[in-house]
Formats: sequence, structure tokens, C-alpha cells
Amino acid sequence: MPRKLSIRIDGQYLYASEGQTILEAAYANGKPIPALCYMKGLAAVGACRLCLVEVSGVNRLLPACTTAVQEGVSVITESEKLTRYRRIALELLLSERNHYCAVCVSNGHCELQALATRLGVVSVRYPYAYPKLSVDATHPRFVLDHNRCILCTRCVRVCSDVEGAHVWDIMSRGVNARLVCELEQAWGQAASCTSCGKCVQACPTGALAEKGLAVEEMAKRNENISQLALHRGANR
Amino acid sequence: MRIVDLSTFNAAREAGLAKLLPRKPRIAIGMGTCGSGNGAEGVYHAFSDAIDNLGLGFQLSRTGCFGFCAEEPLVNLWLPGKPLLIMRRVRQSMVPGILDDMAAGRVPSDRVLCKIEEWDHITAGMKYGAGFPEIPHWHEVPFFKGQKKIVLRNCGLISPDDIEEYIAVGGYQALYKVLIDGNPGAVIEQIKASKLRGRGGAGYQTGIKWEFLRKARADRKYVICNADEGDPGAYMNRNEIESDPHSLLEGMIIAGYVMEATQGIIYVRAEYPLAVHRLTLAIEQAKEYGLLGDNILGRGFHFDIQLVEGAGAFVCGEETALIRSLEGKAGRPTPRPPYPAEKGLWGYPTNINNVETWYNVAPIVIKGPAWFTETGSPKSPGTKVFSLVGKIRSTGLVEMPLGTPLKTFVYDIGEGGTEDRAIKAVQTGGPSGGCIPQEMFDTPVDYETLAQIGSIMGSGGMVVMDEDNCMVDVARYFVEFTHSESCGKCVPCRIGLDKALHILNRFTRGEATEGDLATLDELSRMIRDTSLCGLGQSAPNPVLTTIRHFRHEFEDHIRAGRCRAGVCEELALSPCENSCPLHMNIPRFLQLLKEDRLEEAFESVVIDNPLPASTGRVCQHPCDDRCRRKAIDESVNMREVHRHIADSIYFSDRFDALAAKVASRCMASTGKKVAIVGGGPTGISCAYYMTLLGHDVMVYDSNPEAGGMLRYALPEYRLPKAVLDRELELIRRVGVKFTFNTKIGDEISLNELDALYDAIFLSIGTWKESWVYLPGTELKGVMPALNFLEAVAKTEPVALGRRVIVIGGGNAAIDSARTALRMGSRVTIVYRRERKDMPAIPEETEAAEAEGAEIVFLATPHRIVGTGDGRVQAIEVVKTRPGEYDASGRRRPIPTDEIQRFDCDTVVLAVGETVDLDFARASGLKIKDDGTVEVDRYTLETSRGKFYAGGDLITGASNVSNAMGYGKKAARTIDQRLMGVRRWEDLFPEFEYSLTPPAHPSESGRHTVTELPAADRARSFREATVGLTEVEALEECSRCLRCDIRNGNH
Repeated sequence: MPRKLSIRIDGQYLYASEGQTILEAAYANGKPIPALCYMKGLAAVGACRLCLVEVSGVNRLLPACTTAVQEGVSVITESEKLTRYRRIALELLLSERNHYCAVCVSNGHCELQALATRLGVVSVRYPYAYPKLSVDATHPRFVLDHNRCILCTRCVRVCSDVEGAHVWDIMSRGVNARLVCELEQAWGQAASCTSCGKCVQACPTGALAEKGLAVEEMAKRNENISQLALHRGANR
Repeated sequence: MRIVDLSTFNAAREAGLAKLLPRKPRIAIGMGTCGSGNGAEGVYHAFSDAIDNLGLGFQLSRTGCFGFCAEEPLVNLWLPGKPLLIMRRVRQSMVPGILDDMAAGRVPSDRVLCKIEEWDHITAGMKYGAGFPEIPHWHEVPFFKGQKKIVLRNCGLISPDDIEEYIAVGGYQALYKVLIDGNPGAVIEQIKASKLRGRGGAGYQTGIKWEFLRKARADRKYVICNADEGDPGAYMNRNEIESDPHSLLEGMIIAGYVMEATQGIIYVRAEYPLAVHRLTLAIEQAKEYGLLGDNILGRGFHFDIQLVEGAGAFVCGEETALIRSLEGKAGRPTPRPPYPAEKGLWGYPTNINNVETWYNVAPIVIKGPAWFTETGSPKSPGTKVFSLVGKIRSTGLVEMPLGTPLKTFVYDIGEGGTEDRAIKAVQTGGPSGGCIPQEMFDTPVDYETLAQIGSIMGSGGMVVMDEDNCMVDVARYFVEFTHSESCGKCVPCRIGLDKALHILNRFTRGEATEGDLATLDELSRMIRDTSLCGLGQSAPNPVLTTIRHFRHEFEDHIRAGRCRAGVCEELALSPCENSCPLHMNIPRFLQLLKEDRLEEAFESVVIDNPLPASTGRVCQHPCDDRCRRKAIDESVNMREVHRHIADSIYFSDRFDALAAKVASRCMASTGKKVAIVGGGPTGISCAYYMTLLGHDVMVYDSNPEAGGMLRYALPEYRLPKAVLDRELELIRRVGVKFTFNTKIGDEISLNELDALYDAIFLSIGTWKESWVYLPGTELKGVMPALNFLEAVAKTEPVALGRRVIVIGGGNAAIDSARTALRMGSRVTIVYRRERKDMPAIPEETEAAEAEGAEIVFLATPHRIVGTGDGRVQAIEVVKTRPGEYDASGRRRPIPTDEIQRFDCDTVVLAVGETVDLDFARASGLKIKDDGTVEVDRYTLETSRGKFYAGGDLITGASNVSNAMGYGKKAARTIDQRLMGVRRWEDLFPEFEYSLTPPAHPSESGRHTVTELPAADRARSFREATVGLTEVEALEECSRCLRCDIRNGNH
């Protein structure tokens, strides 16, 4: 049994287990810290920066998903500043690519959309980039739409760490970063793809979807993925 | 030769010493990348060939770089028993001469920078010899003064390709000592006690980091040198490695031993081929000598160093990204913790230090921590190498104690701005750093202080910026860099920097709004606070510091649509137009005249500038400084061309017709009444445009005639009254009305004006002479410059003596001096600073000297001596010497003990002018502490409704064109306020003229005015210069490069 640690989250005294991250401890206690790149069961990468929290005694913000709890630590998960920064991060994501909810398979089942709604993002103050991006529909069962990708790398991790195939990775730098299938293969020609579909279920938006579904029809079953990942110990 | 004990070690040292101090003359060429780029290769071969051909028994070798980049290539000369000489800017053609001199045992007559009699290599001393008393010691050269070379101890003095030379200057002694002592814990204690901090920029204590790794338990441990130097404008590490690679290896081997590491890795940029080459060679040599690899120095310690070339991603300088890159993965950072000391390369404990950190190890081991902490500041001991570059005279690598104030770098070592331009800021720390404004140059350069003001020390880049740098563009440049170097992993850095760049681009295009500034500020803070790694966390620093310290420049781009530095091309027609206070369309009138369309050229000039003949004579011509033609030969003489155009019309029979044409442009009457207080250049300009805009304008002036300073302060020989009268005639024909002999406050009050007019523009000049209070100013014969000039202009009697002293260095001083000369006096000007600091137009100063005025620089009045009946008899001045740099970027004059006495009977005080603000008391106008009226910088509105102010009244004493610029700007904003719509652009007619860049601009040099012979002109008030001839003026027009044309259009 891991040691029990006494911590405070948003003023409330709670117990956490040694080895848990702040995010895991918060989720276990019903505190839904916003996050997009985090997925239960997968190794945390700290990329979306939505789960940043204020930790007592630390003068900078820390990602809850990669920071381990320590005995006696006090964490603030919601403040005016955190909310402001999270909204900016969501606005940045919404303006980076072409997110048109009304025509999206994941409309109503999208984590990006849900978080934007929850944090009250009603407008985007930054210029939309409107990049011209492709859609890869070469796979017989699935489709990749770069327009909806937020580069959370959940697909990359689930494929490499749980399925063991490592079909996906990220190519290029900065705003030119793109999800890439093998060494720039069309998905349908990817020899390493087992067509297991875990990436599709792990994807928080409509970037990866099953073929043949209309608007609003792509609901993800990512709880299954998490269970499987935990079972296989992919988080190590 | 393998070193296994003291005798083999000493043998290597003796071999090295024989190369450094041979029994024959030695020549060493500085051949870092920088030296080679400046021709050192050619110089080396020239020496080599010449030595062979002449059969001289000289030794020739290569060294690294001694750091003075501005003077490359540097060559070291040494004659046995004599000091080492460092030659600067050596060219191939100079080689035979140098060899002749050396063969004869002489010092070359030219280009000797300095000498070194003995050198402290820290790990050993080196005595070259004494002599050559006429040549300065190296530390007497301003660039080296105050430098302390610990890191750069061997750079430029030994061959980087020869391990024996390194051993000769004490190299590998520290390693030898550490291995013999066999007490790693003590070494770590030494490093800890020295408080050495990581020189890569973060400043974490090296000793503590080392202790972490030493304590870590693992069967593999790595020691890594981060040589992925990537900041634009920074090249410290490159030079260190190129000049002295063994110091790096020694530091790493010692660290490997004390931390029980198994493998060392140097991650160096592939863009540094020479550094890679020399390091590879150094590693081979170290292995050959038994200093690296198996059984080092026969002490049973095994350690290897591997060189890995980075592909050049900036983010790979971040330690976790660097580790990923070493593992063959994409260079993307990972969150810390876990820190590399716990889980680094391949998951094993790893220590990473910057190149420069490693260079400090051997000296600390040899000399001890107490010696190290003697240098630098308590929290940041030691020295730091900076690459001092940018708009500065002496550029190069500078190693200074930490805590040295920034101004020492800029003014003492760097010797100030290039072409005497005012320095505006220093950017430290590269794209992760910030811009520090000139007002804060007292800031000591250390980790904490720089962080407090929003910048960082970083790896040591120091880029100096002057008035030609737009700070908005600087911020944009760095964000463009970090945006393209962002790895793309985390949201704030990947997308945030992209959006920040978008917003900054809007500023440079003049499309930004106040809202954009707020958005940019908030976004930058978010990126700083939320990014995953150091790249994103520090990338907004250039933006945040420029917003903090240069907010007015952002506001200029938003509210005035102007980029004062003239960098943002979309905001200016051409560099000349941008620098002109009146924003005259200079290329247009040049082209119109070139097309032989004099009348249209005149119309073009006069719609932009209501007094083109006067300004054509007396303007400070900022356009000259900006003209791009300067890059070819000299600037186009724009001022004299518009003087020529104006004179050609004013004194021809076409005047009436053209004056009528200008007047016909008046818009329909608006019924608005506008009062203008002050009929000088500011007031006249405003009145002219307001009348053209259809308003009913009345100008009040206390004098009997219009023109202000142009009439009453500028002497006849500079601006003949006949010219001014002609210009004012045109103003009158346009419809401007004047009320003379009316002083505001006496004859008419501000309240009365308020009741009578819809808008009032205050444009009173600086008529009150500042008074220096020194003994004797009460004596008869002491007079303020403006009173003197005014009396002469009004042909009133002036009691001027035969021997006149003028105090001051501005235009009023020079005008007074030249006027007194013409009245038959002998004149001496006394100025407290140096010639280059004089605010007067340089041509005027030169003319005054040619006419016989003497100028005494670096002297300030002490007292005026009187006769028994209260008349001036003499003046005593205290000589000054240039001291520290003040906020104006000039050296502050410091009084010395030396007093000089000049017999004289008149003293003219021209020490600055202020506005007589008596009228403004109890008027509701806010007055600033410096005695000027407070206005909105963009609209010129005062604190009182309907009242506007411009010119000297808001800036203090300035010059004619600046003053007119304010008058013009006031007309635009007052009209917009009165009418509620923008009508300004409607005033300016379109002109048809060629918009094709000249295929062959005239190759002729610059034409200047013809000056009358000094002896003749000094005896009369006749105009001292004759303007350009028609042919000359046309030729000047053909010299214009037409910067106003871009991509074939405007």
C-alpha cells in the first residue's frame, strides 16, 4: 500500500497516495482540473498547460499532471489568474486550426468544446490562422482531419505505449508541427497500423474519427482506453 | 608522448614553452572564425610565403582570438626578450613591412594596438619581456580596461591546435592535482565555496549540481557540455572552444572524476565547424598524451569524451531537449522534475553545464575559492564573457567581473555609439532577454539585478541599439525568431508566440490599436507564466520589456502611425520624409525639379513647408543623417534643393501667380475663429494650414513684425530679412492676419481669447535666456545672447566691446559669436564639453572658426572679473575633463584645478533659453517641472479646453523645423476637433511624376553651397553663402535613389 499523504486542494484537507500526481489526487476527490493532453492511463506530457495550478511555496505555476503530491502541500486549482490563462490557452487552440463545431462529427462529444463551454470562452480575441490542412481518409475504417487536431499526442502515446505500434508521431516545429503517420505515409498504407482504433477513441476532438458517421455521431469511448492502458501498465 | 608522472608532464611543458618563447622572433595570427572571416587566412599565408622567400628564421603559428572583433585580424609579434605586441587590422600588404621591422628588431610604426609584458594565465604566469615604453599596455586600451580574463585566460595567446602550448601555460595541472590528491569531495567543496554559477544563463550553483550527481547511485553517469550556443549575436562559446579547447576538456575531466561519471559528451552546434574541428583534434591529442581515455595520468581513472554535433535547433540548448536530441529523438523538452541529475540521458543521472562554466573549473581548483570570490559581486562571483555587438564602436568579446554596470560596457569598453548616434538600449540575453533603456545603464550586470528589470543575463549576448532601432521592430524580430524555433509541444509557446507575432506585425504596419497593446501584454504574460520550458517562459521578455520601457514607441505606431526610427517601412514614405519634422515629400520635389518642372516643385515644397527658403538656410537637416545615398558616397543635399526651388520662385516674376495658386487652395470658410499666440515659425505654420483649411485665423505677436526667432534671433548673414519678408508675403496672401505689438497677459488675456475664439494655439518661443549665476554677472558688459541678437536685428545700439567671450555651444552661441565678429570684435567661445557634443549645426561652428572665432573646449566659467567702475575686465574659466556618461549619452564635464583667464570687455551668455511663462500663471494650463506646458503628445491639447500648444513652449528650446512640425501637427488636430471629421488629407493635391527608380543615379558627389571667403564675409552682414546653381540643384536631384518607390509603386 502506498503511504497516505495529507494535502490541501482549494483549501480542503484531503488524503492522497504517495506517487500520485496533483491531478490524480484532485480527480480522485472530485476536483475536475481542466486538461486536454492528459489521459488516464497514459504517460503525462504536460503539453496543453490547462492543468496548471498554484502550489504553495513555488513561485511559478506547475502542471498538475506531472507534479507529484508531497506531504502537506497546498494547491489552488482555480483562481482568477488560472481561469484567465486557461481561457487564453483555449482561445489559442480554437484559433490555431479550423474548428467548426457545427459540421464536426464530434460536436457535442468534444473535450475542447466542452472545456470552452465550461470556462466561458465566448469569443476569440486572436486572429484566426485558417491554415490550409489536409484530411487523410485513406484508411478503410478511420479518418484523420488535421483541421481538428490540437496536437495533444494522446493518439501518439496510446499507439506507442499501449498498442506498441508507434504509427503516429509529431513532425516539424512550432506552428508547423503536424501529426504524422509513420514517415509521412498515407494512413491507409501504413504497414505498422494494426487498425485497432485506440487512437480514434483517445482523440479528444474530431481529428480522429470513424468513417461513416455524420455530425455529432462520433462519441469517444475513452474510458475503455484508460482501463486498458492501466491494465497494461503503459504509464510506467 | 604519454604523460604518466611529473617528469613526463614537465617534459611536455618544456616542449610547449619552447614554442611559446622560442629563441627566434615569433609571429602568431589570430585565426578564430572571426579572424579568418576578416582575412586572417590570407595574412597567414602571406607571412608564411614571405618568411620562406626571405629565408627568415621566424616562427609562425596560429592562435585563437584575443577578443577585439572590431580590430580583426589581430596578429601577435614577439621578439625574444621583448614584450608581446598585438597588431590590429593587419592586411596582407603590410606583411613585408612588418617582417622588415622585426628583422631589424624594430616596432612596426603603424597599427600596434598594445603590448603585453607579462600575462597571468591564472594556472601559470608568462613573462614575455619588458620594453617599448611608447606602446600602451594591453589594459590601457579602452576596450580592455577593466577586463579580467579568467575564462579567456589563454585565448589568442596559445595555439588551440597544440596541447603542449596549453600545458606550457599551466594546462592540465589542475587535473593532475585533483588526481594526485584523490579527494573528489574536497573538489566539490571548493566549487561550492566558490559559488560558481551556471554560465548558460539560469545561474544555478554549479557545486550543488555536481553534488547531486556525485551522490546519485547508478552504474552509468553522464557529464555533458552544452555548446549549443544559438542566441542571435552571441558567440562567446564558439570563440572559447576555437581558441582554447583544452580548458573545456580539462574542466570536464575533473568533473568526470569528482562526480564518478563514466562518459563525457560535448553537444556542439554543427554550424561551428572550426570549433568541431579543433575540439576533435584536442580530444585526440588529450588521448595521445594520456589525459583522456583509459588510465588517465597513470592514476587508474577512465573517462572518455565524445563529440556530438547538434543539427541546430535553438530549443536543443534547453537541457531536457538536448538530452532527447542526444537520444536520437526530436528535440522537445520534457517537464522537470525529474531533473537530469535524477533521470537524464538514457534515464541515467546526468550533469549538464554550459561551455563557460567548465572553463572556470581549473582556475578554481588551482587558485582556490577565496581567490575566485574576490572578483565579481557577493551573490555572483567571478567573471562573465559577453559578446558586445550592435551599434557600438568597439565590438568584441569582453570578460568583465559580474556586477559591472552596464554603462561601463557601453561607453567605456564599447566607446559609445557609432557615428555619434545616441544609444537607446541594450538587449541582454538574446531572444530570451530584454531591452534595458539608456536611463537604466547604471544597472549592475548580474543574475538577480537583470532578472528584476525583466531581462536575463543569458549566455552573455549584449546587443547595443541606437536611435535608428525601432523597439517595436526589435521585439518583433525576437518573437519571430522564438516563434520559428518553438518546438511546438506546449500550447502557449506554439500558438501564443504565433499570435504575438501577428499582433506585432500589425504594429509595424501601423494597423494596431490600443486594444492590441493590451492583448499583446496579457498574452505575453500568459506565455511567460505557462510555457513548459525556458524557451517559452523567456520568449516574451523582449516584448514585455519593450512595452515596459518603450511604451511610447508602441503608442507612436498606434496613435501617430509613425516609426521614429524609420525602421517600419510601411509607416514612412522614405527615410528622409520620416526624419523631417514637417514630413516633406522630399523625393517628390526632387523628382519634379529633375523633370524640369520648377513651378510644380515649388507647389510641392510649399504645401509641405510654408517657409521653405528660411528652413532651406537654417534647418538642422535631419534628412542628411538618414539619406541612404550615404551608403554610396554622401547624402543628397535636400535642404539646399528646396532653398533653391523657393528662391527661384520668390525672386522671380512667377511669384504672384504661384502665390495666387496656393491661396486658391483655401477651403470654403468654416466660420470658425482661431487665435494663434506667437508669430514665430510654429505659429506661422499653424496659421498657414488653418487658413488653408478655411478657418478665420488671427496671429498675435508682441513684436512689431512677424517671424519670431527667424527675424529677431537669426542674424542677417544666415537668413536675410528680404528672404523672410518674401515668405511672409505668401503667408499673408493666403489670408493669415496678424495683430502685432500685443503681448498675451498684458494687452490681452487668455480668458479674453477664450471668449473670442473657437480654438487657441499657443506657440510662444523661448525668449528668456537662462542665466548662469556666477560672480560678476551683474557687471556691465554681460548680456544674454538672445537680447544681443534681437538688438542687432532691430538695429538698436549695442554696447559691444572689442574683446568678446561667448559662453555656450548651441546655435545661439555661434550666432552671437559670428555677429560680434562682424561688428569688429575679437571673439572666443567657451564651451564646457567636447566639440562633438556641441548642439550647434557643425557647418555653423566651422564657419565661425574660419571667420576667426576661437573656441575653447572643456572649460566652464568660474567668475567674471570687473573693473572698479563695474565693467567687465576679464573672465576666469575652469578647465574641465570628460567624466562619466550622463543621461544625454555625453560625457559629463568634471571641473579640474586648472583656471584660465581671458581678458575681455563683453561676456555673452548663450547657455540655453526657456519660455517666459508669466502669461500662463493662473491660466488653468498645467506646467511641467521642466517649465514647459503639458500637452497630449499626439493631439497637442493642453489641460485647458480649446487651448493647444506646440513648439518651444512644450519642448523647451529646439530648432526651426521642429517648431514648424508642431505647428503643422497642431493644425491637423485642431481642425479635426473643430470640424469633427478628418479633412487634412484633402489639402494636399496629387502630383504626377515618375515612379520609376533611376536606373543610373548620378555618380556625382554632393554639391554644397558656396561660402563667401571667410575674410570677406566676416566683415559684412551679407548672406554668408550662395545657394546651389540650377545645374548643381538638378544634379543633386539626380543623385536621389528614390527610396519612396517600393515594388514599383508607393
